[in-house]
Order: sequence, then structure tokens, then C-alpha cells
Amino acid sequence: MNKADKIFICLVVLSSFLLYIPLLLHDWQNRDKEKTVVVHYRNEEVLREDLHKDGVYTVQATMGEVQIEIKDDAVRVEKENSPYHLCSIQGWVSDTGRPIICLPNELVVQIEAKEATDNGVDTVIQ
Amino acid sequence: MMNKTRKMMSVTMLVAISILFHLIESMIPIPVPIPGFKLGLANIVGLIALYLYDEKIMLSVNLMRVLLASLLRGILFAPGFWLSLSGVLLSSCAAILAKKYSSMTRFGVSCASSAFHVIGQVIAVTFIYNQFLMGALLPILLLLSIPTGLFTGYLAGQVLERLAIERNESI
Repeated sequence: MNKADKIFICLVVLSSFLLYIPLLLHDWQNRDKEKTVVVHYRNEEVLREDLHKDGVYTVQATMGEVQIEIKDDAVRVEKENSPYHLCSIQGWVSDTGRPIICLPNELVVQIEAKEATDNGVDTVIQ
Repeated sequence: MMNKTRKMMSVTMLVAISILFHLIESMIPIPVPIPGFKLGLANIVGLIALYLYDEKIMLSVNLMRVLLASLLRGILFAPGFWLSLSGVLLSSCAAILAKKYSSMTRFGVSCASSAFHVIGQVIAVTFIYNQFLMGALLPILLLLSIPTGLFTGYLAGQVLERLAIERNESI
């Protein structure tokens, strides 16, 4: 390895950390907000549930049924049918920056933060 | 002097080996819970083609590999094929530019090609599935592309050294 190699490797490592900062920031901004679990299948929303409500939900996807479990403010894919079972191996997710992506099933499980509505702006004047 | 037929035969062999690597790699699951992560064994052959011959040969070896391996797996023109194609196009271009316009060694060229393979795949996912969520995985995939790039670069270097010794002996 020469100097140019090392410079390039440092650049890539640096840029990957730089790309991670917006995700962390986004997470930090949403840490106190109410969170909902949103499941997308082929660009359409198929499930939207509160993260505080425990339960197991079943969604139809490309390769069969996918079971999504919500428990203790975290969400995971419990059962699914895909070649490597990557999305069930990924396990529990509880923050907004890490979606569970299952490409063979074309399914995305993500946690979204609700916009704050308790500041009294939402009133009607007659 | 290497004549035309011999060159064609060697390139065909390279394509065959890279198809084999591509198929084997898609059969072995890697116990890392990150979608899209793989070793990039087929890239070794691409690098060997780049250093033994030229840019054109490398590009054609890589394109033929993606086309034929997808045909053999029965996923031609499916989403998986477009992911491979965009990844391999961007990574080949990166490797060619890195070799031509910088003083990087095989390790650097290999790292460049694996990093840009990740970027190409993330771009393809964004377009095919119409969402930016894969962008959340880009940092970790980029970071992991460096060790795998060094690994493939090392292997390609080893093969090239042995090939050079054999050639000198036969001449």
C-alpha cells in the first residue's frame, strides 16, 4: 500500500462517518416524541401502529406472510420467508434511524416520530 | 507474443471463473445481519482482468458475468439483476479511473471498486423501490467495503504475482 491508497481509505471512512451524523441527529431530535411503527410494502403503507402497544401483526408480502412483533417500545420481524432471513436476524429496533429492510419481501418496517401536537397551536377560531 | 485466440480463451476462462464466484457467493449466507453485505469474490477476477489486460476486457468480463450469472439463476431483468448491474458498472468505472488517473496500488483500486459497488447498489435500491431508507445503511456498508476491498485486493495481488512467475518461466 502506498500513500494514495491510505488517503483514499481515510476519505471513505471519513465520509461514512459524516453520512452517519445526520442519522444520529435525526434520532436525537426524535428521542422524546411519540413513535409509531409504519410498515411499507411496495411503496404503499400496509400497517401503522403505536410503538407503545404490544402485539403481533401479520402482513402479506411477496414471499408469503410476514409477522411483525411490537413489544417494550421496540419492533422486530418475528417470522418471514426469505433466502437468508436477514430481517429477522436483525432483531429488535427501537429508534428512527434504523429501518428493517427485507428486499426479497419488498417490505420496510420503520419507526416514525409523530409531530408534537400538544403545544396548543391546533385550535379553531370561530 | 500472445496471439488473438489465446487472449480470447483466457478472457473466456476469466468470465467462467467469475460466474462461478458470483453463483457460489449468492449461495453462501453470511451471518451478518446487514442486507446487501457480501465479500465481493467475483471482483477478484475483475481486478485480475484489469491488471492482466486492459479496461475494455475488465468491463466486458464484469458485464458478461452479471448477465450470464443472472441468466443461470433465473433472475434476468428482475430487481436483483438491476442491483448487480448498477453496482458492477459503477465499481468498474471507479476501478478504471483509479488505475488510470491515480498512483493507487491494487489495494486502493480494489477498495475504490468495492466502495463504489456499494454506492451503485444503494442508488439502484433507491430507484427500484422508490425509497431513501437504504441510505440509512450506506454508512455501515461503506465502512465494511474497506476490509472486503482490501481482502479482494490482496487475493488478486497474490494471483497476479503467481501468474507473472509462471509467465516468466514459460518464456
